[in-house]
Amino acid sequence: MLLINCPYCGERDQSEFTNGGEAHVARPKDPDQVNDREWSEYVFVRANPKGIYYERWVHTHGCKKWFNAIRDTSTDEILKIYKIGETPPLIKRFKNTLRSPSGEPDVGSGNFTVKKP
Amino acid sequence: MSEHKIYFKFDGKTYGGNEGDTIAAALLRNNVKLVGRSFKYHRPRGIYTCGIEEPNALVQIINEHNEPNVRATVKKIYEGMVVKSQNRWPSLKRDLGSINNILSPIFSAGFYYKTFMGPKGFWKNVYEPLIRRTAGLGKPPREFRSKSIHLHHNVDIVIVGGGFSGLLAAKKLAGTNYDVLLIEREDSLGGILKNTKKIELINDQNPSDWIEKTERLIQNSRNIKVLKNTLMTTYNFSDHLIAVEDKSVGKPQDNEKPELVLHKIRTKQTILANGHIERFISFRNNDLPGVMLAASFEKYIQKYGVVPEESPVIFTNNSSTFSLVKSLVDLGHKPKAYVDVRDQKKIEKETVELLNKYNIPLYAKSEIEGCEGKNEISKVSIRVKKNEIIKIKTSMLCVSGGFNPDIHLFTQSKGLLKWDETILAFKPEKTFQNTITLGSVSGNFSYEKLIGEINKKLDFFEGINDLEIKLNINGPKKFQIKELWETNHAKKSLWSKSFIDLQNDVTTKDLKQAVLEGFNRIEHLKRFTTNSMGTDQGKISSINALGIVSKILKKSVSEVGTTIYRPPYAPLSFSAIAGRSTYEFYDPERKTPVHPWHVKHNAVFEDVGQWKRPWYFKKHNNESMEQAVQRESKQVRESAGILDGSTLGKIEIKGKDALAFVNLIYTNSFTKMKPMTARYALMLGEDGMVKDDGIVCKINDQHFLTTTTTGGAANVLAHMEEYAQTEWPNMNVYMNSITEQFSTFNISGPKARTIMSRVFNNIDFSNESFPFMTFNNFDYLNTKVRILRASFTGEPGYEIYVSPKHALTLWERIFYYSKDLDLVPYGTETMHLLRAEKGYIIVGQDTDGTVTPIDLNLNWMIGKKKKDFIGKRSLTRSDIVRSDRKQLVGLVPLNKAYGIEEGQHVIEEKNLNTPIKKPVKMLGHVTSSYFSPTLNHSVAMALIKGGNRKIGSQLYVSTSDLNVIPVEVVKPNFIDPKNERLIS
Ligand SMILES: [Zn+2]
Repeated sequence: MLLINCPYCGERDQSEFTNGGEAHVARPKDPDQVNDREWSEYVFVRANPKGIYYERWVHTHGCKKWFNAIRDTSTDEILKIYKIGETPPLIKRFKNTLRSPSGEPDVGSGNFTVKKP
Repeated sequence: MSEHKIYFKFDGKTYGGNEGDTIAAALLRNNVKLVGRSFKYHRPRGIYTCGIEEPNALVQIINEHNEPNVRATVKKIYEGMVVKSQNRWPSLKRDLGSINNILSPIFSAGFYYKTFMGPKGFWKNVYEPLIRRTAGLGKPPREFRSKSIHLHHNVDIVIVGGGFSGLLAAKKLAGTNYDVLLIEREDSLGGILKNTKKIELINDQNPSDWIEKTERLIQNSRNIKVLKNTLMTTYNFSDHLIAVEDKSVGKPQDNEKPELVLHKIRTKQTILANGHIERFISFRNNDLPGVMLAASFEKYIQKYGVVPEESPVIFTNNSSTFSLVKSLVDLGHKPKAYVDVRDQKKIEKETVELLNKYNIPLYAKSEIEGCEGKNEISKVSIRVKKNEIIKIKTSMLCVSGGFNPDIHLFTQSKGLLKWDETILAFKPEKTFQNTITLGSVSGNFSYEKLIGEINKKLDFFEGINDLEIKLNINGPKKFQIKELWETNHAKKSLWSKSFIDLQNDVTTKDLKQAVLEGFNRIEHLKRFTTNSMGTDQGKISSINALGIVSKILKKSVSEVGTTIYRPPYAPLSFSAIAGRSTYEFYDPERKTPVHPWHVKHNAVFEDVGQWKRPWYFKKHNNESMEQAVQRESKQVRESAGILDGSTLGKIEIKGKDALAFVNLIYTNSFTKMKPMTARYALMLGEDGMVKDDGIVCKINDQHFLTTTTTGGAANVLAHMEEYAQTEWPNMNVYMNSITEQFSTFNISGPKARTIMSRVFNNIDFSNESFPFMTFNNFDYLNTKVRILRASFTGEPGYEIYVSPKHALTLWERIFYYSKDLDLVPYGTETMHLLRAEKGYIIVGQDTDGTVTPIDLNLNWMIGKKKKDFIGKRSLTRSDIVRSDRKQLVGLVPLNKAYGIEEGQHVIEEKNLNTPIKKPVKMLGHVTSSYFSPTLNHSVAMALIKGGNRKIGSQLYVSTSDLNVIPVEVVKPNFIDPKNERLIS
């Protein structure tokens, strides 16, 4: 279970929070001016990267405030938490903090052993 | 060891054991070896180990609500305990299921998968009844009320394991500023120091004295808390660990106190000092009662003072069995034979000297070929040369196939492993979290090197000093092993089997067969053969399986790889997980202030979300639900009815931008709406689908009150908050749930106005001064009420909002004033019927998240002139404007005597041939259907493709007995289509 640092309440267990999907997906300012494709991309399409991801969280069983987080989806490490309205930090800043298990399986699942001595 | 005898029952017979004995120790004390039957073949099984890793000795504790699959090697006895063996019928010694053993060819690898493939009818008639009767372990427990609790910890360091390494780590950390939690799964600290003869002296003291002194030091340090009888089950992400503590070890469960405590631990650093597990070797009939792991055998002697057998045969491939021989000869016993697969020259000189000294026959470069016996071992076969087998009579065989570092928790933490050729085992290689491994779990099997390892690995903690320790070690100082997973099987008979997984009855032959059938990936092989999928997760055997498979595939074990170890480390009772969240504490029950009145008037309740809502009121005990609903709804239309609507979600919206916000949240336009009026409103998702509905009351442009469906209240508020905070953070708008601040009653029916005029005799309820969809606040007695003219039944109706404190009084007064007016209290079922007669939808029943307002013909609710609202743009997407989308229509059966069933398909076919041979075109389904007592026939609503164009035509609805009934498609408004009654 992740430990999430709510910018308003401090560190709390993940079970108090709800994930709100990708962050910074802007709602078109004038929805009537975008075509079907652009609109449906806003409504339905979200990135699902392995690695660094900007996402939204809400402290559902707490202050009920929404905020943004940068999480590495391959390690589940939360690298940064910032409030709504704050400028999102650049992805470049986080490149070197990846701590993904180096021996992740090359075939199939679950072979969590180091291959090369 | 206390000599106080404790008496308990096993399979109806009373046995005596010592205080502190596990069930297994006590049974061995009484020379009981047969304790269970195996999973598939019903073979006799005994006690194989002395701890959590036990695959065989699983029992059921009858006096603890039949708790099944309890490890006899862990559970301690107490006076009056009643224990039963599992999976045997009719009795342990004469088990009819063991016929499966003879049928074993059909139970081979992939058996379960293959049964699904035929021959036809075999599953239903042969396999399933057979499997259900004979397979499986314990029977389910009886229902009981769990008293378990959850505890949370926030610490700096967790030490898992209070053995030698764990104690040394704790000693180092004692008195520092770190908050430390030491978790030990047994009832005492010391581990290997207590279970073996491996270490003679520590700093010239007896190990037991050293343990006592160290424990006192830890206790006096004040920064270390020790939890005994506590099993670490889970190592999650973010250094979050879960351990379960057994509070009733060695005593019956207390009726008042919690039996289990689930510890949820957050730590900064985890020290794994959880040791190792001995593994077995596969040979012919290696499952017979009497076969036991060597270190377990020694633990029974050292920890429990039980000698399971004074002269067993010992079979090993490594140096560790020295201490078992030492334990036995120190007590004056003598092993019958010592069989070592290694060459004489390779066997440690300490061992050879000890064997020679006591005249114990050593069979070097030999192996156990197999063993024989009926319900337990009677003799073992030793292959002394390639073609020479000698037989020795014995009742017990101690086996050591080497040791695995107990890497289960380490891999749960996502740490990486590496195969170590010197110890022939996987050991931790790379940590993923803040994990330190110490001692044998790290692959260090040398006690001399232990203190150096600990000093080095814990060096970075602040304020700790190097420890020095002097050890006198018995026997070989270095761990040495020769690879041996399975010995050659000489005898061929159906009964002769060489097992790789004792709990799931998987043989080494099954492994070979699975590889032959193409399951050569270890994860596939595991699932196909069910190897290591039992409750023990193959703790003594899964690495052996890798060894055998690697030999077949001619690959290294490292290349074959391990399967993933998943939490929990060992099974834990559901009651520990549930904690106090059972029965009425599972989920809050919400009751309205009028609830006691409903109970008194025979309401039958329905759960709506967490709310208890009256479903219908029983007039007398023999009245059925159907009769009650027909009576209630008829009475509403003929005179008047009252519904407790207090459960409806209520949200207050305030702020300078409240109007703009409400305009964005709902489809309707609220700009031109006059203050103190109300509107039925729809809420969409951004995809244009109906999300919720309710009534929006406008007090003024800065202040609105909205209602939501009972089940949708929390979601609607969350939806509003999300948009207010993330999309329009600059809007000045605030929302608050006021669901529980107001109780709500709905009074509707032709006599509603009369009732209201009597209860509130100073208010003018005439149509002119109190028109439809308006509301106002009034003083009433010493409180205030808000009254809204609205209706969900199609009859004239009023909604009263009152403070919960006054709700019950007001409710009773309404009945007092309506004595002669035939007012009926009604429940949700009647409400559903009445609204269906009017074609009013219920979100979640007539909609399912794929329905737009256009599909519902609610276009009039869409504020088309509004520039934007949530979901607006989606309503013009090409898929949404298709004319052949499913649309909401009404259905009336042509033959008025027929009823329409909810959920049935709407089709064009006149007949359904049974059995149905070709696909039937489905137009849609019936979403709501009721028998209308007012119309005297069934009325239904349905979502059907291109429904609007089908109005007036004839279609068919399937029935649950595979018939069809003809229906006419109509507009979904069955009573008073012009709404004359509604606004009268
Ligand atoms: Zn918070």
